[in-house]
Amino acid sequence: MAKIIMVVDDSSSMRQMINFTLAAAGHRVVEAQDGMDALAKCNAQKVDLFITDLNMPNMDGIQLTRRLRADAQYRFTPVVLLTTESQIEKKMEGKAAGATGWIVKPFQVEQLLAVVKKVCP
Amino acid sequence: MDIAALQLQMRDAFRVEAGDLLAELDSSMLELESRPQDADLLNRVFRAIHTIKGSGATAGFDAMAAFTHHVEELFDEARLGRLTITPAMIDLALRAKDLIGQLLESDSSTALEAPCAEVVEALAKFLPHKAASASNTRAKPGAGADQKQRYKVFFKPHPQVFSSGTDPINLVDELRALGEATVTARVEGIPSLESLEPEQCYLAWDVELLSTKPVAAVKEVFLFVEDESEIRIESLPLVVIRETAEAAPLAAFLNIAGQSLEALDGFLSQLRSGTEPNPGCGKNYLRILKTFQAAASRQRQDEPAALLEEQIHLLETAVSGGVTLADETKVSLEEGYQKLVALIQSLREKNQRGDKPETIVTPKIDSVSQPVVPAADAPKKEDAHARATIRVDQEKLDRLMRSAGELLVARNAFPLLAKRIALEHGLSVMGKEVKDAGDQISHIAEDLQAAILSIRMMPIRTVFQRFPRMVRDICRAQNKEAELLLEGEDTELDKTVIEQIADPLVHLVRNAVDHGIELPDAREQAGKPRAGKVTLKAYNKATNVVIEVHDDGRGMDTARLKKKALEKGLITAAAAEAMDERAALELIFLPGLSTAEKVTDISGRGVGMDVVRSNIFKLHGTTTLESHPGGGSMVTITLPASLMVSKGVLVDSGGEEYVFPIESVVQTVNLPRGQIHRHEQSSYATFRNEVYPLLRLADHFASEKKFGDIAWPEEVPMAIVQTNRGRVGVAVDRFVGQVEVIVKPLGRDFAAIPAFQGATILGDGRIALVINPAGFV
Repeated sequence: MAKIIMVVDDSSSMRQMINFTLAAAGHRVVEAQDGMDALAKCNAQKVDLFITDLNMPNMDGIQLTRRLRADAQYRFTPVVLLTTESQIEKKMEGKAAGATGWIVKPFQVEQLLAVVKKVCP
Repeated sequence: MDIAALQLQMRDAFRVEAGDLLAELDSSMLELESRPQDADLLNRVFRAIHTIKGSGATAGFDAMAAFTHHVEELFDEARLGRLTITPAMIDLALRAKDLIGQLLESDSSTALEAPCAEVVEALAKFLPHKAASASNTRAKPGAGADQKQRYKVFFKPHPQVFSSGTDPINLVDELRALGEATVTARVEGIPSLESLEPEQCYLAWDVELLSTKPVAAVKEVFLFVEDESEIRIESLPLVVIRETAEAAPLAAFLNIAGQSLEALDGFLSQLRSGTEPNPGCGKNYLRILKTFQAAASRQRQDEPAALLEEQIHLLETAVSGGVTLADETKVSLEEGYQKLVALIQSLREKNQRGDKPETIVTPKIDSVSQPVVPAADAPKKEDAHARATIRVDQEKLDRLMRSAGELLVARNAFPLLAKRIALEHGLSVMGKEVKDAGDQISHIAEDLQAAILSIRMMPIRTVFQRFPRMVRDICRAQNKEAELLLEGEDTELDKTVIEQIADPLVHLVRNAVDHGIELPDAREQAGKPRAGKVTLKAYNKATNVVIEVHDDGRGMDTARLKKKALEKGLITAAAAEAMDERAALELIFLPGLSTAEKVTDISGRGVGMDVVRSNIFKLHGTTTLESHPGGGSMVTITLPASLMVSKGVLVDSGGEEYVFPIESVVQTVNLPRGQIHRHEQSSYATFRNEVYPLLRLADHFASEKKFGDIAWPEEVPMAIVQTNRGRVGVAVDRFVGQVEVIVKPLGRDFAAIPAFQGATILGDGRIALVINPAGFV
């Protein structure tokens, strides 16, 4: 079933690439450029899945995860972090904040779709 | 889904972003060079590189991403406070940045392999412990495992599992998807209803799975929950798994090691027999060592890696010393080789016994404790670079511009229509209404035009920002010292102009540093500060944009210019004699005159100031030069801010109508006949104590030039026009008025006529030629 997926990343091309991929798989994508932006946009519709970068200006991915978990609407909604291999501590911190999982950058189209399917089949 | 098309789309999107990031990197890395401890700056650089790598790999630029990884590592280390950025590192990083740009451009990366490898190697020297460990070593699921395995899996999620957004039943389903599964839920943990917390998970599962997938795939199901949940995976001894996912690379490594040792042995036997190896042979030996070393450190085989590192170092020093290897070098190489053989042998035995090497489970993760460094996610200051923007296809913009232009011309029909309604049909009230409606449309059209023009305008910053790097590189290459001052980076120019102004400016700035600025010692002797100063300045002047390139270097030697021009047969001796300073300086704009003593690789060959001027000319701009021996030079470029629409002065001359672009007209005057003088074949006009060469437009474009006395009327309408040769008086028959012009090109056949930049349609539908002041005289 088509999901509404919010992609949060300060890199526009990253957002676009994820958007292309997910849209091609039939999902609806909402883009946000940082945590603040994501929070501002996530009440307009019920988001089924968040995919967020870690390093972002204004509000990073970990803070965003915490804020989402504190929101009754998104307490149980999957949040997937975009990480790199070098960010292992961040990954742990993200888990502690309530993130569901992570995708290691760089990733292939298939990997992204696999993770989306995994956390929100 | 068409993945190939998707990849293409991604690549395009990425190229655009990467272009911006690379440009930003250029300037921020230079800043970093002067402030290597600036954590904010470091983070900015790191983040840009990080994004290029991450997004690049996802977009399918694998080679580029792999290469960028090495650069990222350098800045990551610096960011974590483990090394300090030095100018040498910046040098290297800038080179790497250029290569990244090239990797993005080219479809095949093979040609760039060598320079990339060189940079990677140099980078590795700054990161000794990480040398060559960088390439991706993600373990692939074990190959050739077609046989089914039997797994027994126990999974008890953490009670709070839901609050991390995970639904455990999804995971169980995923397991089932791996093969034939028998799932048994354990319900004994469920409490009585009164004490049941609805948001907790009380269940656990036993899964028996028969699957062709390796154990890694089963583990992967629990990837996101493995830390906090209870998970046990047993491989039931149906089939013994010999090659686990981790063990495969070791076998591969041993294979490489075997081959490398064989090759090294061949080389050493030459040494033993006394046959002196030629230099190429030494290089090969070195290459084998390096491959071997890379493989070893990738495998985390630290002992052989360290040993190989030693050998590489030894050989590198030896080879750089000359062709012949000293005896002690030979002995050390031989010893190293024997040690390696022993090491590899023991590894091989271990492998056969089935011992797993201890360190390879998660090869990419060095558990690094993060020192307290201001986080990269500290709120970024809102600056000019971070405005919200939309990227628009330029074609669309041009189409919009054309439509707006046509609207501007079409509105001219209204006054004519109004007149006809009033006069021919006697409906004066109606006529007035039509006229008013027309006026309103006029206003809107003008607003629209202004808005579109402003979209096309870009700050010249995008061009300027490449220069600090360039100046720095030239200085380093030539042991000069120079400081570059940028002024007016926010001055806006039409996008087309921005794109085409870059090359001429590059040339001018290069010239300024390469030919203008003297060596520090020479400057000191001349009583100047050791560091030269190059100023690049842009500003608006009326409807023009002026760009000045100024240096405080040695200035132009007009005597040498004349000599050069004479030697090359560009001018006659008599002409050289008669030339004043200004005219001599003009010589530099002649094609084929290069004043540099020898052609340097900085200022290139062939392209000279003539090309600069002709490029500026194509943009309807003018180029002038001022120079004082010992006091530096200044090139001034004057450009119309926009190529699309401008105002012009419509003149009548000899029954034809012409338009002068308004930015080229300094002044229009009605000159009394008495202020015109003749000198030999030329006329001059005196106006407010200035003397201008005077030409009559009608004669200028006439097929047969008339010489001799001109019967001037009492008062001569004259426009003072700015040209490449300075200001010139142009006599016309009549000034008709100011008009709006949308310059249309004349078409291919007439494109080469320098006197005209195009034609424009006048309000009543007639056509007038638009004069190009730069090519007019």
